[in-house]
Amino acid sequence: MSGYRVSRPSQRIDRDQTVRFRFNGRDYSGFAGDTLASALIANGVTLLGRSFKYGRPRGIVGAGPEEPNALVQLEDGARTVPDVKATQIELYPGLSARSCSGWPSLALDLKSLLGRCGRFMPPGFYYKTFMAPVRAWPVYEKIIRKAAGFGTAPTANDPDFYDHLHHHVDVLVVGGGACGLWAALLAGRAGLKTLLVDDQNEAGGWLLSEASARIDGLAAIDWVASRRAELDALPNVAVLTRTTAFAHHDLNLVQAVERLQDHLPAEARRADQPRERLHRIRAGHVILAAGAIERPLVFGNNDLPGVLTAAAAQTYLNRYGVVVGRTILLLTHNDAAYDTARDLALAGSRVTVIDVRQRGAAPARHAAVIAAGATVLTGFGIAEVRGGNRVRAARLVRLDPLSLKATGKGPVLNADCVLSSGGLTATVHLYCHNGGRPLWDEERLSFVAPAGGRDDMCCVGAVAGYWGLGEALRQTHETLGAWLAARGLGAAGQAPQADDIPAAPTRRVFRIPDGRRPGAGAKAFVDFQNDVTAADIHIAVLENYRSVEHVKRYTALGFGTDQGKLSNINGFAIAAEALGKPIASVGTTTYRPAYTPVSFGALAGPHARETFDPERHTAMHARHVAAGAAFERVGQWMRPHYFPRPGEDLHAAVARECLAARQGVAVMDATTLGKIDVKGPDAREFLNRVYSNAWSKLEPGKCRYGLMLDENGMVMDDGVTACLADDHFHMTTTTGGAARVLSWLERWHQTEWPDLKVFFTSTTDHWCTTAVVGPKSRDVLMRLCSDIDFAMDAFKFMDWRDGTVAGLPARVFRISFSGEVAYEINVEASYGDYVWQSVLAAGKDFGITPYGTESMHVLRAEKGFIIVGQDSDGSMTPFDLGMAWAVGMKKPFSFLGRRSLTRSDTVRDDRKQLVGLLTDDPAAVLTEGAQLLSSPQVTIPADMRGHVTSSYFSAYLGRSIALAVVKGGAASGGETVYAWSGGQVTAARIVSSVFVDPQGERQHV
Amino acid sequence: MSDALFQPYARSPLDPLDLAGQAVRPSPENGAWANEVRLLAYLTLRGDSADPAYARAVRTVCGLSLPDAGRYVSGVAGVLLWRSPNECLLLTSRRQAASLRVALVEAFAGLLAEVVDQSGGLTTVYLAGAEQVTVLRHMGGYDFGSLEPGQAIATVFGKTAAVVMRADAHGVHLIVRRSFAAYLWALLARSARPYAFTVGRLPAAGTDPVLCLQEGATVLDRQDRVAV
Repeated sequence: MSGYRVSRPSQRIDRDQTVRFRFNGRDYSGFAGDTLASALIANGVTLLGRSFKYGRPRGIVGAGPEEPNALVQLEDGARTVPDVKATQIELYPGLSARSCSGWPSLALDLKSLLGRCGRFMPPGFYYKTFMAPVRAWPVYEKIIRKAAGFGTAPTANDPDFYDHLHHHVDVLVVGGGACGLWAALLAGRAGLKTLLVDDQNEAGGWLLSEASARIDGLAAIDWVASRRAELDALPNVAVLTRTTAFAHHDLNLVQAVERLQDHLPAEARRADQPRERLHRIRAGHVILAAGAIERPLVFGNNDLPGVLTAAAAQTYLNRYGVVVGRTILLLTHNDAAYDTARDLALAGSRVTVIDVRQRGAAPARHAAVIAAGATVLTGFGIAEVRGGNRVRAARLVRLDPLSLKATGKGPVLNADCVLSSGGLTATVHLYCHNGGRPLWDEERLSFVAPAGGRDDMCCVGAVAGYWGLGEALRQTHETLGAWLAARGLGAAGQAPQADDIPAAPTRRVFRIPDGRRPGAGAKAFVDFQNDVTAADIHIAVLENYRSVEHVKRYTALGFGTDQGKLSNINGFAIAAEALGKPIASVGTTTYRPAYTPVSFGALAGPHARETFDPERHTAMHARHVAAGAAFERVGQWMRPHYFPRPGEDLHAAVARECLAARQGVAVMDATTLGKIDVKGPDAREFLNRVYSNAWSKLEPGKCRYGLMLDENGMVMDDGVTACLADDHFHMTTTTGGAARVLSWLERWHQTEWPDLKVFFTSTTDHWCTTAVVGPKSRDVLMRLCSDIDFAMDAFKFMDWRDGTVAGLPARVFRISFSGEVAYEINVEASYGDYVWQSVLAAGKDFGITPYGTESMHVLRAEKGFIIVGQDSDGSMTPFDLGMAWAVGMKKPFSFLGRRSLTRSDTVRDDRKQLVGLLTDDPAAVLTEGAQLLSSPQVTIPADMRGHVTSSYFSAYLGRSIALAVVKGGAASGGETVYAWSGGQVTAARIVSSVFVDPQGERQHV
Repeated sequence: MSDALFQPYARSPLDPLDLAGQAVRPSPENGAWANEVRLLAYLTLRGDSADPAYARAVRTVCGLSLPDAGRYVSGVAGVLLWRSPNECLLLTSRRQAASLRVALVEAFAGLLAEVVDQSGGLTTVYLAGAEQVTVLRHMGGYDFGSLEPGQAIATVFGKTAAVVMRADAHGVHLIVRRSFAAYLWALLARSARPYAFTVGRLPAAGTDPVLCLQEGATVLDRQDRVAV
């Protein structure tokens, strides 16, 4: 292929704007309006990559999203993009790109040497070859990945940002060609809110490539401009170009990605604008006008650089002013490709049309190409293309006029470019994403979307098999007219007029016979990106793959980034031939989103960086930050983990904080606990049903701890609930369980017990909770509160009081998660910062110490208090946790999980049960999650008794402690088990899970 | 210690962002601008909207009929938003909140109804500018273009729920939980970035039923405890 520039009246490039760019380390120039592909062809660049499996030289085949070969690495550094199709890269000044494949170089590729042994690399080669030894797979994988020859993902953070935009429209038109424009116009004129999306940089579709078409007496491109202007003037219509609709989902949700900045040079890209925008479009009706893509014919060495589709050559010529070769062979089975031959001949190329049909094209088209200076050979095919890294010649083969057989030799013709046209393939992807099945049209030789569409979608133009411009516009007009009329939206008026040139019948051929049995002649590629040949498909069928889905997976047909846009129909047809079935019964593989590759950035959109996931803050958060707290995420909450003083690490800080709580006073932000207001005459009964213990006698002013079980009797949440009034309760849940528990309550209320009169209202965010903990906590509270009697007998453990704290209305709960005297002050969260500061000030004389979640964990573990989700894992009953005291089996009405607690499995003695562990070495802190073994001798399979659930160093006890679940642990006191972690075995003795104050006296003081 | 020695102050959820310090008078170039409507009072009313006695009690105390689904009503007492068939949210001023709560609790006596204070748990963000609807469309999937004055809907922005209430053509109010407020603000600022987003000074209340509720924070009335 030796491409060069010509000036065409139809060209969409600006020859006054030269654009300089760099490819594979060399400088080139093109023009504004070029794609990288058109500019490279114009510069005579033919070799762009090496093929996936055989390392064969590859060049540009198509002109759009169908391109299988010309994948390039665009730019370097943080903005580098791998595997972009050169046919879709709009040229901009300073663009830099390089080939993705070829090692050690594109010209001298090692894999190409191996590829010459291609006959030993049949389909399934990788599956069959790299099976053994299993241990060697990591080595194989590295080699295979390197050989695959795809690009490199950026390693630096993406400097750009992306966003999402949601649309609700009456009508979405997909495709901005003639039919899409006309459909949008009819919908827009009818007053419907209409959105048109098109993946090109300007509307027009195939009309941008078809220089001779006329509509309503206008040159087609002028008709496009006129229609576009009318659309732009309609306030109810929006048009998005550079926007690819890539997915169609339930309820007519279409996703489309808009490339806002990729066509601009780096210095012109705006930092305040996203690189790409994901449009999520909910349309009342979708009008699919996605058009069709020309597929090539399959013949020997049809993958050499310089072999293109005829449509691509026509696009390069008429749209970009680039002639793809000086001596061109054009292989076709249809009339339409004659237009390409005519245009190329008129542009100065020596064109020979090789028509597989005995009688060639209809007279008008035949005469036109002859008049343009082209030669026509009918009844011939191409047996093989010849050349090394580029096309040099092609050997023809004479075809039987009736059956698809080679009947004799043909001439060898010199050429620098070979084009082929195997007919159009309707772009049915979006019709099929949501369960639609395309129909095989034997006359059109394509799977097409049904012209009738379906309830929420019309299919117009080429996607429905209307190839001719005139017939496509008529069908669009009639379809839209009927659709609008059915909705009382008036008549559509006159259809645009365009003439279709009469055409001779197409010959049904996909693979050009070369007179050899499959696999014996030159490789004839069906799928260029995955190196799938016609012979590979035959072999797959011979190996008994009967479903086209299996053939696809075995051969990798249609798997590439082009998703088989050029290869699928040819592949299905060859598989059908091998199976001896009609194509219609072979069917298609499944079309799935995305139609073209979509960047992760576009999919993630705003859900990245600071808005990746909510960071929930308590009212005191800024104070914790100022105090230098280290934070940990609990659910989405940012909780202080510990408050290090200068020079302290986690362990030192936690030791200090824990001792303060045990010996003096400490303070913690406990705001994050879930809180639910439960009110109604049946509130108490409801609690009886959702908690395992009894609530009938809890008096106002009292609190009670409760375990919430699921239907299987397993602990799912816990917390303290306070009785505010006989019909009113303040329930607390775990921090991470708040939303789940509220949903749980609502679910049971709404679905099973709607007769119970009760409301549940989340108050988690309203209340902020400051926990004041330790022997001196009462002293601190008394400095803040004058209307609550804090005397031991007046305000007992598990009581709550309504009072005034630091001048604010407050609910004060005397509850403890540490085993010490403790008070939780609840005030409206707007005053959380104030109350926190007030508590710190009031406790200053007592050395009040803020503490975080790590110390909270140590303090509760010292007391054997569980954390649901850490010491339980959804398979622990209250009995397993040693909490039979929290189960009221004699309650008059059953409670959730009760029946399951008496199942034979849940009453087994050898279930895993919560125990305490003390290591023989008091300094040894067990690893949480460590498996517990019966013997220090580790044999495989090991006798695993259980695992460590919580493990800390207790500064108060001066030694390590741990909680664990152990099979039969409740009856194993004193037994030694062995914790295995990281190859180390540590002996530990099973003890009570309560390490501090077993009688529970301290919290009652 | 005497309560008189204490000097409580309130903090709105977005106070740590110092929006007041950043606020400017928005210009036409600012396609979107926003600010927090600080320290309103919020009362959740629970009761069956089909129960005439409950509706009568609300009307008697608030002077407001129960709103239809997806809508709000407003009056001197504030703005009453529909949340579900048995839940409404009353936005009111801190000045009125305590007396309204007391009156509602009394009016609800004997009914299956309750009032729950949410004043610490919610805040409101006002979003305005020519591209306000576009910004909302960046943030969530609801058909915000169809939202008319008088409507208030619950929706999801990214990973948080919020109520969107349109007062008039000038702007919308986004009501969000305290702990998600910073996330919502970050999402809003990010979504509005292409439109020259700025923190704007809140306008005079005019006829906006929410803006007219804002005032300086006051210490809660001791009567608040009556609602317990």
